Amino acid sequence: MPSILSGWKKRREALLAEMEAHIEIEAQERIDAGVPPEEARAEARRKFGNALLAAERSREIWGGVWLERVLNDLRYALRRLIHAPGYTTTLVLTLALGLGSVTAMLAIVDSVLLRPVALPHSEQLALIYVQGQQEGTSASSYSISYKQADTLRRNVSAFAALSAYYLAAHPVVAQDGTRIAISVQATPDLFTVLGVRERLGRLIEPSDARAPVVVVNDAFWRERLHADPRAVGTTIQMSDRTWTVIGVLPEGVRFPQSQDGPVVYAPITLNAKGEDEDDNFNAGSVLVRLKRGVSIQRARAEAQSAFAYIDPTAAAKHDVLKIVPYQEFVTGDVQKPLLMLLGGVGVLLLIACANAANLQIGRAASRMAEMQIRAALGASLGRLAQQLLAESLMASLAGAALGGAMAYAAVAAVRKAYGGQYARFNELAVHSEVLAACALLAVLVGMAATLTPMLRIRRQTRARMGARTVTRTGRLPGILVSLQVALTCVLLAVCGLFARTFQALEHVKLGFDPHHVTTLVLMPKNSHQNGEISRQIETQLLRKFETLPGVESVTMQTSIPFSNLNVVLHSIPDAEDHVWRASDSADYSFVSTDFVRTSGIRLLRGRSFTREDETTSGTIPVLVNEAFVHEYFARREPIGAWIEAHRDPSETDADLPFTQKMTVVGVVENELQGGDLGAPFQPMVYMNYLALPKSSFLNVIFSMSAQYAVRSSLAQDVLDKELRATVKQVAPQMVEMNLAPMQDSIAASLSQRRLALRLVGGFGAVALLLSAVGIYGVLAYAVTQRRREIGVRMALGASRQRVTGMVARQAGGMVLFGLVPGIAGAWAAGYAIRSFLFGVKDLDPLTLAAVGVLLLVISALAAFVPALRAAWVNPVEMLRAE
Amino acid sequence: MTTREAKEQLDLLQGTLDLLILKTLALGRAHGHAIARSIEQRSDDVLQVGHGSLYPALQRLLKLGLIEASDGISENNRKARFYRLTAKGRKKLYAEEGRWQKFSRAIAQILAPPVEEGQ
Repeated sequence: MPSILSGWKKRREALLAEMEAHIEIEAQERIDAGVPPEEARAEARRKFGNALLAAERSREIWGGVWLERVLNDLRYALRRLIHAPGYTTTLVLTLALGLGSVTAMLAIVDSVLLRPVALPHSEQLALIYVQGQQEGTSASSYSISYKQADTLRRNVSAFAALSAYYLAAHPVVAQDGTRIAISVQATPDLFTVLGVRERLGRLIEPSDARAPVVVVNDAFWRERLHADPRAVGTTIQMSDRTWTVIGVLPEGVRFPQSQDGPVVYAPITLNAKGEDEDDNFNAGSVLVRLKRGVSIQRARAEAQSAFAYIDPTAAAKHDVLKIVPYQEFVTGDVQKPLLMLLGGVGVLLLIACANAANLQIGRAASRMAEMQIRAALGASLGRLAQQLLAESLMASLAGAALGGAMAYAAVAAVRKAYGGQYARFNELAVHSEVLAACALLAVLVGMAATLTPMLRIRRQTRARMGARTVTRTGRLPGILVSLQVALTCVLLAVCGLFARTFQALEHVKLGFDPHHVTTLVLMPKNSHQNGEISRQIETQLLRKFETLPGVESVTMQTSIPFSNLNVVLHSIPDAEDHVWRASDSADYSFVSTDFVRTSGIRLLRGRSFTREDETTSGTIPVLVNEAFVHEYFARREPIGAWIEAHRDPSETDADLPFTQKMTVVGVVENELQGGDLGAPFQPMVYMNYLALPKSSFLNVIFSMSAQYAVRSSLAQDVLDKELRATVKQVAPQMVEMNLAPMQDSIAASLSQRRLALRLVGGFGAVALLLSAVGIYGVLAYAVTQRRREIGVRMALGASRQRVTGMVARQAGGMVLFGLVPGIAGAWAAGYAIRSFLFGVKDLDPLTLAAVGVLLLVISALAAFVPALRAAWVNPVEMLRAE
Repeated sequence: MTTREAKEQLDLLQGTLDLLILKTLALGRAHGHAIARSIEQRSDDVLQVGHGSLYPALQRLLKLGLIEASDGISENNRKARFYRLTAKGRKKLYAEEGRWQKFSRAIAQILAPPVEEGQ
């Protein structure tokens, strides 16, 4: 820029020199003709006319005058901003906060929700599952069977390709030892559906069905195979089988979901197990690639008619096929929270804008005299506007730059902290489009902020100069403050609701005592291991753990609160004196004898398990929870009552896990199941697995995973060492999946809500600060403007209290005007986020009252200084100034 | 300034200065003063060029690429900027000359009848 300016300057100087030479020649001619030199020069100059004007005209012809003016304006604006550091800092920081948080949130939304998943033409990918509709309120969804999937593949023309797969976490033995990896067992067309090519070797083909071959992803190749280019052809061990690595996927292929870790892809094995009965597959997924140009709706309609044709029974139950775009499937969980947070930062930006506008209105007012003089000297309104705009844009672009940098840092921090936790957070980045949007937003904000000052200048420059003694109070700044107060009220109310939710969750009655309990999750290397053998090994381990020094008690538990590897046995019970209903269901958890002691669950009635229960014949002793009693034994004494598995008329003994009846020996308190603190309690039956008949097909669950809860007051690292050594010695075929204090898992389950709470809390705090600055700014400015009026009032007898009251009234008016719509808005916001709330209603009077009081207090503090200043106006001084 | 002078000297019509400069330069290269002087002399001092206004016109022609400038030494040994016609300028000059003649003929035709009637 300076080079352009200096270029113009040089050119102008050259032109002036040339014109000077011209005048010289003219003068010389006259001197030669005998005119005295002085007179000759003056005449020549007169004849030439206004050289500066000519230079100015020439300058206009060269073009770029506008640019020079803009540069001049920018230089001037920069000087003015530097000369008012307080104003500039406040303005730039306000805008940086507003724009920065919006940019960060936009970047996250863009990376997670908007960017297509990194697979070729990912918009054509979709998942199919069946939505059961029997209960109306809580429709369950399940996967279609392999046979159904196969029929769909062959009969639905809307699908270009279809693949069925299921996921499991398996211990995988490679050269570097045994570690868990995700395995995807898929039909051979998986890679056709995904549309990816291999980086090394080849992909799985239809002829590979049942062959022990695997394809691995880039992470597996790097972490487990040392990124060896000759890794193709080597073998790994999984489920006690040897698999040959035949191919490696390129970097950046993330499947399933947005998985970053090591993944092994193997052809699905459908041998021996009947196609439809494959247990694994019922929990599987079906991924399709739609033909180009085929809409989801059309594909669904076609698939639905094919589905109804192949499975009349499901269709009769009104089950419908659902097709979900793959992207939505991957990011569905985070979509709502992210959009909610985006709404939150949007509100924050509005508050920041209102503040920026108010700051600039005040600023413009203080420059009114300058503007009037410039207008009087012939500056057009457009020229003045250009100048104001330059200053405003410079401030908002500086704010955007600072905000962009903040967003950049924030996004990097979020990616680092939560990359592995939420879908696609490992792909977080601030893309150039987002930065462009941020800059555009800054320009819009800058332009909007000059609008009012400009209108005011127009009015004032048209008015007579003498009008300066009249106090002018615009209504807009007050309205903007009210708007800020309203928006802050909404944000704070949401904050309050989150805080109350969090509080409620932290104080949820767990139903058990997690202190000094360590959970250990193991998995057999071979998932096809005979269930009875697994059961024996796990019992040996249990016995060994019990004897460890420092261990108070141990229990095995198929469903441990907050574990990710729970095996939930869902079943329909029949209970004594209970009339069977279609909606009956209960969850079963296998535990061992010391369950009550170890978990710390409260025994409400009856007794806990004893050693004798392990070898019982006849009925199986079980514990049930309060929820179960409520559902099934509402009208009778639960202790001593029997329960048995419900039998449909078509079912035989072989369909049941065991035929013995169960006897309730005790009732325990409800305890949390799964990992969600806010989830409702399910009816539970706790069965001592040691009493489970040896022949039950349920033994298969012992080959899936083994979970132990260990109560001990040993130091964590000592206990961990002991437990690991025991596993190594007694059960080397088991792989450790997780070993952690139970309290850590509980804290982790709160972390998502904690993140949301922190973010929203941060927004609320910033909003409050901005509002306070806004109130202060407007009042301070109003007092400055009204000093003369206040002086006159005081001279006429108004007391200091009255004057203070006048300012306080103005503040109160602005705040109350904001609070009323604010509370309505808070109610609406609470309704919008009700699904995130727990233990608090969407309209919480306590929260609203707290927010209202907080806002009033902050406003009072912000109004305090201006009110005091008004009270200390010296009437004599003011009147002398008249 | 006397009334007689005012009658005989005409202010230039908008845009005609460009044409006059082009025509002047058609005879060869010249510096600013020489151009002004030439226009005055060739119009028998009827057309008065405000010497100052010559320069914006020159800048305009330079920008349009109709003339080009080079530094040189004037007849009385001063450093001066010389202007000359470019090929594009020459073409423009022919076109403009034609247009101007048509224009002045038309004006003359309109102005002629009342003169006849008046006689």
